[in-house]
Amino acid sequence: MNGFLVRRAVVALLAAAVVPFAAAQSGDPVRLGVMLPLTGGAALAGTSLLEGVKFAADEANAKGGIKGRPIQLFIENDEASTTKGVTAVRKLIESDKVIAISGTYASAVALAAFKVAREYKVPMISAGSTSSNVTDANTPGDPWFFRAFPGSDEQGAQSARDIVKKLNAKKVAVLYENSIYGSSLMEQMKKMIPQYGGEIVSVESYNGDERDFYSVLTKVRAKQPDAIYIAGLMDAGAQIIKQSREVGMKTALIGSGSMMSDKLVELAGPASEGFAVSSMFEPATPNKFGQAFTQAWRQKMKKEPDLYSALGYDSMHVLIEAARRAPKLDGASIQATLKTMKDVPLAEGPDGTFSTFDEKGSVSFKIGLAVVRNGKRQWLPFD
Amino acid sequence: MGKLLVPLVAAVGLALLPMLGLGGYVLNVMVMIFIFTMLAVSLDLVMGWAGQFSFAHAAFFGIGAYTAAIAQRDFNTGFWLNLPAGIVTTGLSGLLLGLPALRLRGHFLAIVTIAFQTIVYLALTQWKSVTGGQFGIEVRPVEGLATIGSFYYLALALSVITVAIGWALTHSRLGRAWQAVRDDEVLARAIGLNTTAFKLAAFVLAAGFAGAAGVLVAHHVRGVTPDDFTVLTSATIVAMVVVGGRGTIWGPVAGAVVFTALPEVLGFAASYRLVIYGFLMILMIIVMPEGVFGAWLQRRGK
Amino acid sequence: MELLSLFPQFLANGVVNGASYVLVAVGLTLVFGILNIVNFAHGEFYMLGGYAGVTASTLLGFPLVPTLIVVVLCLAAFGMLAERVVFRPLGIRDPSNAIIASFGLSVLLQNGALLVFGAQPKTLRTDLANVPVQIGSVFLTGQRVLIVVVAMGVVTALFLVLRYTWTGRALRAMAQHPVVAQISGVNVRKVAVITFAIAGAMSGVAGALMSSVLLVQPTSGGMLVMKAFTVVILGGMGSIAGAVLAGVGLGVIEAMVSGYVGNELRDMIGFFLVIAMLLLRPQGLLGQSTERS
Repeated sequence: MNGFLVRRAVVALLAAAVVPFAAAQSGDPVRLGVMLPLTGGAALAGTSLLEGVKFAADEANAKGGIKGRPIQLFIENDEASTTKGVTAVRKLIESDKVIAISGTYASAVALAAFKVAREYKVPMISAGSTSSNVTDANTPGDPWFFRAFPGSDEQGAQSARDIVKKLNAKKVAVLYENSIYGSSLMEQMKKMIPQYGGEIVSVESYNGDERDFYSVLTKVRAKQPDAIYIAGLMDAGAQIIKQSREVGMKTALIGSGSMMSDKLVELAGPASEGFAVSSMFEPATPNKFGQAFTQAWRQKMKKEPDLYSALGYDSMHVLIEAARRAPKLDGASIQATLKTMKDVPLAEGPDGTFSTFDEKGSVSFKIGLAVVRNGKRQWLPFD
Repeated sequence: MGKLLVPLVAAVGLALLPMLGLGGYVLNVMVMIFIFTMLAVSLDLVMGWAGQFSFAHAAFFGIGAYTAAIAQRDFNTGFWLNLPAGIVTTGLSGLLLGLPALRLRGHFLAIVTIAFQTIVYLALTQWKSVTGGQFGIEVRPVEGLATIGSFYYLALALSVITVAIGWALTHSRLGRAWQAVRDDEVLARAIGLNTTAFKLAAFVLAAGFAGAAGVLVAHHVRGVTPDDFTVLTSATIVAMVVVGGRGTIWGPVAGAVVFTALPEVLGFAASYRLVIYGFLMILMIIVMPEGVFGAWLQRRGK
Repeated sequence: MELLSLFPQFLANGVVNGASYVLVAVGLTLVFGILNIVNFAHGEFYMLGGYAGVTASTLLGFPLVPTLIVVVLCLAAFGMLAERVVFRPLGIRDPSNAIIASFGLSVLLQNGALLVFGAQPKTLRTDLANVPVQIGSVFLTGQRVLIVVVAMGVVTALFLVLRYTWTGRALRAMAQHPVVAQISGVNVRKVAVITFAIAGAMSGVAGALMSSVLLVQPTSGGMLVMKAFTVVILGGMGSIAGAVLAGVGLGVIEAMVSGYVGNELRDMIGFFLVIAMLLLRPQGLLGQSTERS
C-alpha cells in the first residue's frame, strides 16, 4: 500500500513541476473549479445545478472563452459531506490548480470548504448554498464567499412578509427540516412573522428522511393555522402537501425555495393545487436576461430550465465575467473584481437584477411567489 | 524485533514525506489515513483480538470530536486539554456501553452497538442546545500547528503511538487473555479468567483511542457535524478491519489506507465506489474471512 | 385537553405504520428463527419491492393485484438469490460473518439501486391511494387501510401454512432442532431457500404497498431495517406472534411519541426500547430464553 501511494505522489510531483511551465504558453485553459453533491441525498439538486454550471461555461467558450483562452471545469463531488468537501477543495486548488470555485450546495460543506479556500486565496461563489451563516463568516468588506442571490435570512424575511401580506395569513405554523437550511429559515420566520403582524401558532421539526407526516400534521391541524410554512427539501415537501390533504386539512401551504420544481408538483399530485413557493426564477420570468437564458436553454437542452439550472448558470457566469475583467488570472484578483462588480445581469430575480454584492458577499433582490394552478406554477407579480 | 523493521522504516519514511513538497492535498489525505488507522487498529482490539462485535466505533469517534468542540466552545480549551478530555469521555462511554452490552451474545451485541450508534447520531442531530444540531460546532486549529504541514506530524505521531500501544498490548499477557476469550470463551471462564473484565478492557481501550482520533479530526476539519459519525462510518471502519485482517494489527492499518485512499483515486467513479465497497465486503468475508493480511500471514506459514 | 381528542388519529397512524413493520419483521424473524442468520440487507428487499411495484404499475401499467403478484414473484426470487450467492457460501463457520456480509450486501444494493433508478424518489400511483376513508374523526386513505388488511391476511396465511402444511412443519422443525430435523429427513437446503423466499416476498409486498404512502428511494430500506430489528428483538427472535405484537406496538408508540412529545424523537424511541429490552429481558416478549455469554 505504501508503494502505491509513493508512486501516485511522484506523479503528482512531476505534474506539479510541469504544469506551471505549460501555463506560460497562451491558449491554455483557464481553470475553474466546481464542487457539488453529485451522489447521496442532495444528488438531485447537485446534478441539476451542475447542468446550469456547465451550460454557462459552454456558452462562454462558444464566445471565445476568457481573453481568448478556453475555460476548463474541474468537477469534484463533495457528497454533501464536510470532510469530503474539505478534501475536495484542497484537491481542486492543489492538484487541479483552479483559480476560483463555484460551489457548493450544502451550507455546512460550503462553510468548511470556503475557509480552506480563503487560506489559499481562492474565492468561492455559492452554487445553491443558502444559509446566511456562511456569508456571515466573511469579514465584512472582504468576502471570499459570494452568493449571487439572497441568503436564508433575507429569503425567510421576504417569505414572512408574503405570507402575512399577500396570502393574508395571520396564524402561521412552521414545519421545518432539522438541518441548517430548515433551522435558519425557521428562526427567521419566528422573528419576522410577528414583525409583519402575524402570529406563530406552531413550530414542529422533522428529520430530513422522514416521509410520514400524519401525526405531526394532525397536531398542527389542531392549532388551526391560516397557513403552514414548510422549510425543507422537495421529497419531504411533496409528502407534507399530499398528506395534509389526506388528513383533512385545507390550509394554505407555502414552501421554501428548494421546493420550486416540477418534480414536486408531480410527486404531490393534485394536492399541490394552490401550493405557494418562494421563487427566484421561473421560465416565464419578466427578467429579460432570464428570458434570454430560458430561450437558449430550451434550444440546447430541449427541456425547460428550473431554479437549479438558473442557480448554477448564474453562479458560473458571474465567476466567468469576473475572471474576464480581472487584471490578473489568479484568485486574489478575481476576488477583488467580484467585490466591486456591479453590472453583471443575473437570470434570477426580477428584471434588472445585477450582481451587486453587499459587504458580506450576498446579492439582494425581490423574491417572487409562485402559486400552483392547474398543475403549473404561476408567478404572482412582483411588487 | 526483526518483525518491526518494516514498520519502523515506513514510519521514518512517512515522517520525511512532507519534505517532498507534495502539497496540501496529499498531506490532507495522509492525515485522514492516520486518523482512520487509529480507528481501525483500536476496533481490531475489540473485534480481532477479544473476538467481540462493535458497530458503534463511529459513535465513539464522534463523542471524542464533540467533546473537543464543546470543551473549546464553553471552556476555551485548546488541543492539549481536549485530547485527554476526549479520551476520558469516550472511555467512560465505552464503559457505559460495555458493562450492560457485553453480557450478550454475537448478534445481540452487534444490534445493541448499532442501536447505541444510532442513538448517539440522533442525539447529535437533535440535542441542538448542546451540539448545535446539524449546524455543528466550529473548532479552532491547534495553536502553533495551524498549517497542514505541521498538523501532519501531530497526526502521524498519534497514529504511531496508537499502533505501538496496540502492538504492545496484543503481545502482552492481556493480548493472550483476549485470544483465549476469542477462541473459546466458555473454556476461558472455566480456567478462571475474568472474561467480562477482559472484554470490557478491550471495549474501553478501543473507545479511548477512537476518542483521541475524534479530537484529532475535530481540529483538522475545523468543525464537527453529525453526518461524519454515522452507521455507515462505523461500517466502513468494520470493513477496514475485516478486509485488512482481523487480529493482525497491520491488516487494519492496510485496510485503513486502502479504504481512505481508494475514494480519492477512484474520484470520478464515486457512485460506483460504494457498490465496490459492498461487493468487496461480501467477497472478502466469503473468500478470505481472515482478511488480506491474515491470508498473507497464513501463506507465510505463521 | 384538546390533544386527547387526537388520540384516535394517532392510534390509527400507529396501526398503519405498525402493519408495515409487521410484514417486514416477520420475514426477518423467520430467517433468524429457522436459519439463525441475521440479515442486515433485509431492508433492501423492502426497497426493491417498492421499485418493483412502481415499475410494474407505472411502466407496464398493471393494476394493483397483478402488480403485487409481480412483486411477490420478483422478491421471492431475489431472496432465493441472496441465500444462494451470499449466505450459503458462508456456511456455519462464524455467525458474525453473516452480519458483515449482509452489511456489505445492504451497501451494495442501496448504491446499486441508486445507479439504476436514480436519486429521484418515486411513488406508486394506485386508485386506492386517493380514496379518502373517514371513520369518525380519523382520516385515512384507502391505501393505508389496504396495508393493514394485507398484513393481517399475509400473517394469517403464513400461520396456517406453518401449522398445517408439510413445508410449514419442516420449517418449524428446523427452528426447534436443526439436527433432529435433518435426521428426520428435512432437506436443509430447501428450507433455507423457502425461508428466504418468504422473507423476501413479504418485505417486498410491504415496500410496494408503502411506496404509495411514503415514496421509494434507494435509502428507503435503511431506517426501516433498524425498526424491523427493533420489532424482532422486542417481540422475541424467532417468534411470529411476538413480531406481530411488537410491530403494531412500536408503530403505535412511535405515533404517540410523535404526537404528544415531539416529532424528532420518533426514531429514537425504538432504539431506547431495544436497549432496555436487551438488558432486562433479552429474549423479548414472546421469545424463548437464550443463553447469555
